Amino acid sequence: MRTQGGILFANIGAGLALGFVVTSIGFGDFAELNRMFTFQDLRMFLAFAGAVAIIVAVFAIAGVRRTPTRIHAGVVPGAALFGVGWAISGGCPAIPIIQVGSGYLPALVSIAGIVVGIRLCRRVTTRLRIDTGSCGV
Amino acid sequence: MTDYWPWWAGAIGLALVTIAYSLAADRSFGVSGAWDRVLHWRTERDLERRRARDEVERRALVDALAGAGSGPPAGPHAPVPEPPPRPASLVSQAALLVSILVGGFVAATVSGRFDLRLDMGAGFADIVTADPLTMVVVLFVGGVLVGFGTRLAGGCSSGHGLHGCGRLYPVSLVATAVFFGTAVVVSFLLWKVV
Repeated sequence: MRTQGGILFANIGAGLALGFVVTSIGFGDFAELNRMFTFQDLRMFLAFAGAVAIIVAVFAIAGVRRTPTRIHAGVVPGAALFGVGWAISGGCPAIPIIQVGSGYLPALVSIAGIVVGIRLCRRVTTRLRIDTGSCGV
Repeated sequence: MTDYWPWWAGAIGLALVTIAYSLAADRSFGVSGAWDRVLHWRTERDLERRRARDEVERRALVDALAGAGSGPPAGPHAPVPEPPPRPASLVSQAALLVSILVGGFVAATVSGRFDLRLDMGAGFADIVTADPLTMVVVLFVGGVLVGFGTRLAGGCSSGHGLHGCGRLYPVSLVATAVFFGTAVVVSFLLWKVV
């Protein structure tokens, strides 16, 4: 499965499943998202936290190796900007895609913004030599 | 129209996607990284070609050493290092983004929630704005912040939030605490003040 063909197959399967699951939970619905972030409804928060708890347990039991990581300079400012963007537009990098898939055509504007933001980030960090690290992707 | 999934079903679904992908592909599951590579496809294509050339040279070196019957090299010769895992190809990353769209469309259609519309729903209109022009500006600015922020932080809600936190990586725990915390503060401001 670690061949490029296997990874392509894994990406297609994971993408289909992620799109289906995230849409079915309601992450594409701005009202649901705002209710999660303002703690009016913990359903989506518990789905996210519950998933993390399951992943921690499964990887611990399976004894899967961990890759060393470090906290780089871009983590806190980058995450803060992401948090603001997520709260006002209702989208993380996957969510505008499923919003379009659900029929919300203005989410194409969010996608255009993400495209500009990602290209801008690479240009700025390359020019200023800012370390952006990686979550291992 | 059916209800959204209960929290436990969502938790199992998200965990299964992340675990299955990590074990099958032996790499982290992240959407912002896929966006980044697809959007910089020229640079990434050149990198892919360079990696392929390096791999050919490495194999030739390994074969040459094996042909010389030297076994594991000793003395001043260093063993030929194993290359780092190659990142997913550009085609795979593009396929991930398209598949997310298809998966979302199927879920929306099956649940009876698919509805072509020119707004972002009643929630967005109530909490943020009902004015179409302002909506476009907010969505675009929000998108720029999401794109810039996730790449500056080195990951997003899937890479840092699910995979990284699931592996208990300190960098992902910090990133997730910061983006969730910031989103909470801004959402309260939108709800109570704006």
